[in-house]
Amino acid sequence: MKTQNLTRCSLGYAAAGTLAAGLILTSGCHRGGPDADRDGQPRVALVVKTLNSPFFLDMRRGAESAARELGVNLIVQAAERELDVERQMQIVENLIQTRVDALCLTPSGSKELVPVVRKANRAGIPVLIVDTRLDEATVRNDGAHTACFIGSDNYEGGRIAGTHFGTLFTNQADLVVLEGIPGHETADSRVRGFRDGIRPFPHLRIVASQPANAERDQGFNVMQNMLQAQRGIRGVFAGNDMMALGALEAIRAAGRTDQIRVVGFDAVDEARREIAAGTMEASVAQNPEGMGRLAVETAVKVLRGETVPEYIPVAIELITRPGS
Amino acid sequence: MNWKTWLIHHGRQLGTLAGLLALGLALTLSSPYFLTVSNLLTVLEQVSINAIVAVGMTVVIITAGIDLSVGSILALSGVVMATVLQQQLPVPIALLVGLGVGVACGMVNGLLITLGRLPPFIATLGMMSVARGGALLFTEGRPVSGFSDGFRALAGSQVWVIPMPTVIMLGVYVLAHFLLTRTRFGLYAYAMGGNEQATHLSGINVRLNKTLVYGLSGLTSAIAAVILTARLNSAQPTAGMTYELDAIAATVIGGASLMGGQGTLVGTLIGALLMGVLRNGLNLLEVSSFLQQVIIGGVIIVAVLVDMALKTDKK
Repeated sequence: MKTQNLTRCSLGYAAAGTLAAGLILTSGCHRGGPDADRDGQPRVALVVKTLNSPFFLDMRRGAESAARELGVNLIVQAAERELDVERQMQIVENLIQTRVDALCLTPSGSKELVPVVRKANRAGIPVLIVDTRLDEATVRNDGAHTACFIGSDNYEGGRIAGTHFGTLFTNQADLVVLEGIPGHETADSRVRGFRDGIRPFPHLRIVASQPANAERDQGFNVMQNMLQAQRGIRGVFAGNDMMALGALEAIRAAGRTDQIRVVGFDAVDEARREIAAGTMEASVAQNPEGMGRLAVETAVKVLRGETVPEYIPVAIELITRPGS
Repeated sequence: MNWKTWLIHHGRQLGTLAGLLALGLALTLSSPYFLTVSNLLTVLEQVSINAIVAVGMTVVIITAGIDLSVGSILALSGVVMATVLQQQLPVPIALLVGLGVGVACGMVNGLLITLGRLPPFIATLGMMSVARGGALLFTEGRPVSGFSDGFRALAGSQVWVIPMPTVIMLGVYVLAHFLLTRTRFGLYAYAMGGNEQATHLSGINVRLNKTLVYGLSGLTSAIAAVILTARLNSAQPTAGMTYELDAIAATVIGGASLMGGQGTLVGTLIGALLMGVLRNGLNLLEVSSFLQQVIIGGVIIVAVLVDMALKTDKK
């Protein structure tokens, strides 16, 4: 009886294993398999922070259209969650194993991803940094090397948002700030830019500034708490649109949409709709699609041996309601 | 012990191993990059963190408990250790402090469960939030980064060609396997999971041993924190989120029963390897991260379904 159980047990597991194996084989075949240098096309990997955010989906769209035009075999991968730095590191390690020709990376951690950039360097894979800068001191200390940085000036974006509040409110006004993930280069620069942007306007005052980790539900919760604590809020600056949209919901739930103006960052589609409807004030547009496109184009240049500038800026602008 | 009894004893692990080998074979056939020495070493390095956390989880699950706080304890002991490291104190002192924080948090879990009579789910759910909040408060939400080469060697160096995290992982498994199979503590762990009342009545100090079990889980989380911190050259207060789920998955795929009294570390190691190989392989095959989640979830469900079917069979 026991031996029979044992046989069944092993059979069951073999079946489970085969099922997984089958799934893998079919998913592999389905995608045509990652053959090395299919038709001699260069293989370029774009590793973003996560693919559940419209910003990175736009970036992927730009990269894909450039890849089609230039005959590049593009691989786009990301961790499930933006905070999962270790997972992003694993993904890059695994891509190094597949010997991609070039790697475009939007690092989830400005310092944490430096060791893996170094691994790519050792494997002779050029690394292009997109959207979020690596920490320069760490890069220098570790002897890592990147081909270039493609992205917009987040500090400048924050500053534009600050200036906008300066002209929007003519009287004394209390503002609150929803910060992104603390210690993140992008998040920090935006808030720093915003603070400097409102500095010339003494009638503006930041009464609360708290992190909401770039997430929509946290933006909602933190905003709800701020509405309880601060009665006179007139404006909100959120370090990204996910938090801004969350805050917008909280303000709507409190029935104060008319009194509080929200400015976000990234100008994702949903934010643009809110702006057009007049419920949201503005959003700083970063053009992620352009970033993705430039990333692939620049990677191709690097692979051809052309020299590329260290910093390739992507234009930044404030999206507001037409005519407002 | 003749080969037949050996087979019966290890049938469950052999089954998981067969699954792992089938997966490896499929990946070898579908990707030219899978079966290379450097890729397999990469996988061994990547699984080390989850595999080490899963050691403590396995022992906890053998006692019919659960530890949801492993990821948060990992983050807290990581940031505390990193802060000590930045005071330019010797590395061993920082390691001791970091591991001490892990053990202390684990023991608090144990005391809440034994003295406070809280269900393990609730006690460790509370600790999950307390330790996470503690890590965020301690660092004001910012990562603590930049360490000496000596410390970073704990993740970046090799013994012969084997990455150091893998060597540490194997060391932890050998020690814990010994603890679980050759000592009274191990015997008591299985006994408590099998029938706590009977264990208590046979004169075994259930409170003490159970508290130690959760202390051990805190310790393995802290060991994982050492590797993670050295690997990223940074300790993040947000590190280790959802690691408890990966550790539970590795343990359950490896044959442990959430009802307690069952489970082996060899099985858990194979379970962790299976998950690591699956993640690595899905990356090599360029499968999207969304589909990856579906596949990994499916494997966990199938593994437990097979297990359950077998158990009803025996009855």
